[in-house]
Amino acid sequence: MLELNKVRKTFNPGTPNEVRALQGVDLTIKERSFVIIIGTNGSGKSTLLNAVAGTFMVDSGAINLAGKNITRWSEHQRASMIGRVFQNPFSGTAPNMTIAENLALAARRGQPRGFGWALKKSMMDEMRERVRKLNMGLENRLGNIIGSLSGGQRQALTLLMSTWLKPKLLLLDEHTAALDPKSADQVIKLSDAVIKSEKLTAFMVTHSMQQAVNLGDRLIMVHKGDIIHDVEGAEKSRLRVSDLLDKFNEVRRREQLDESAAEILRKRYI
Amino acid sequence: MSLLLGAFTMGLILSLLALGVFISFRIFAFPDITAEGSITLGAAVSAILLVQGWSPASATIVGFVAGAASGALTGILHTKFKINGLLSGILVMTALYSINLHVMGKSNVPLLSQKTLVTEAENLGPKFLGTATNLKLLGWEMNIKDTAVLVTSLVLITLVGWLMYAFFRTNVGTAMRATGDNPQMIRALGVSVDAMIILGLAISNGLIALSGALLAQYQGFADVQMGIGMVVWGLASVIIGEALVGPGHLGLTIVGAVMGSILFRLLVAIALRWGLNPNDLKLITAGFVFVALILPGILAKIKKPKLNHVGA
Repeated sequence: MLELNKVRKTFNPGTPNEVRALQGVDLTIKERSFVIIIGTNGSGKSTLLNAVAGTFMVDSGAINLAGKNITRWSEHQRASMIGRVFQNPFSGTAPNMTIAENLALAARRGQPRGFGWALKKSMMDEMRERVRKLNMGLENRLGNIIGSLSGGQRQALTLLMSTWLKPKLLLLDEHTAALDPKSADQVIKLSDAVIKSEKLTAFMVTHSMQQAVNLGDRLIMVHKGDIIHDVEGAEKSRLRVSDLLDKFNEVRRREQLDESAAEILRKRYI
Repeated sequence: MSLLLGAFTMGLILSLLALGVFISFRIFAFPDITAEGSITLGAAVSAILLVQGWSPASATIVGFVAGAASGALTGILHTKFKINGLLSGILVMTALYSINLHVMGKSNVPLLSQKTLVTEAENLGPKFLGTATNLKLLGWEMNIKDTAVLVTSLVLITLVGWLMYAFFRTNVGTAMRATGDNPQMIRALGVSVDAMIILGLAISNGLIALSGALLAQYQGFADVQMGIGMVVWGLASVIIGEALVGPGHLGLTIVGAVMGSILFRLLVAIALRWGLNPNDLKLITAGFVFVALILPGILAKIKKPKLNHVGA
């Protein structure tokens, strides 16, 4: 379904700000798999997602999605196969346009847009129906501009928009990190429900250990631009929050060891 | 009365400039200075074609197309060559100055004896309103030819305004508005932001060139200097329009830009009548736009402490 083959990306190469964000990532994801990605800040987990989405072109390696080599496809070309929800609730919707207009834009994701009317009567009924399922009372406010909604409502709408046409791959980039706990919970439930009911292949980056444990059928831990843990199936379902914290501590200890070792060497030789 | 009639007609013709500026500045938040060259280009192209005996309608349409091409060029410089938006416009505007001189062959092309859209509109007057020179309406004496030109402009601008409104409600038009509102989102929905900016600037400068073509036919000449200060004039009209109708609704904003343009021309006509030095016109317009740009911020600052006080 999705294959990453030795994908590398370095930001600002050859400068003091050089960041080796992805260091030869190999990853294969089966169809209908719901993959959770965790990792510390700056580990490269969002970069991994953005590499798949096409936010930037990778330096080397190949990305295949649904049998197509999309490595050199631009971001908007990949959108025909990929639905996305961003971390920032303001990123996924056009604030000065109405709910209905935003949904109409999403209903043609990756398809040619001609000179037909964007809002049609038949479509409005379908919108009302699908928005009602969000349980946010937005179905009677389709004419309101998105900017007047809360972060949670906007994120729920972005989720609906990204899955309006069934995507080959759904990318969720810490999409509840900026929400209050109640909204976050609501959006997570909606995400899980739509992934299950539509049988989507999904990729979710999260900071929440609870989400990482409760959701998905595969868990990947990213560190310094590479995958360091990869569990799935029964092993994934046995995973507890404490196990994940142990893994994070392990990483941290290793890092501290590196730093203190470097310090000792520095004192000795410089 | 003929002064008001003239200002009204001028305002209608220049409302196409306001609509073009509205697309670049308000929909894309793109400070497109190409307008100063494209309005002259529209005037120059249509004027020279009229002199060569083209029909007024086709000469005007070619003017529109030429303007659209210059807008697309600015868009390409900005998106494909990654040149700063303001600079892209300045480059095209500067290049257009030479091109306009080449098109016209001299710095000024008079249209006094040519058949133009304006003379055709004037001839409609006697056809529909009677053969008298003047027409009495609500106690006003109005020249029948001037009235015919005004009514024709009104019909034409209504048509263009409606077309623009309709366009922005189609799938492409909606995607274009979203491109200005949130490029990240529209890219994730499969729309090429570059293509939208190029198309949008083409439509914007096409409208502006159309305004120039009509302006040349109305005032009876095309001049290579006629574009200077036009962006600020258009912006002033858009700002007045927003003050009149408020932000938000697309249709109202378009009507507002047209109303703003007319009101602006009326104010200018009255100010000139009162003895304002025409040389000061651009200075005063720039000052007006400056005040209109900073006023909302100042008002918010004045209002804020009061609100806190009430809250406490």
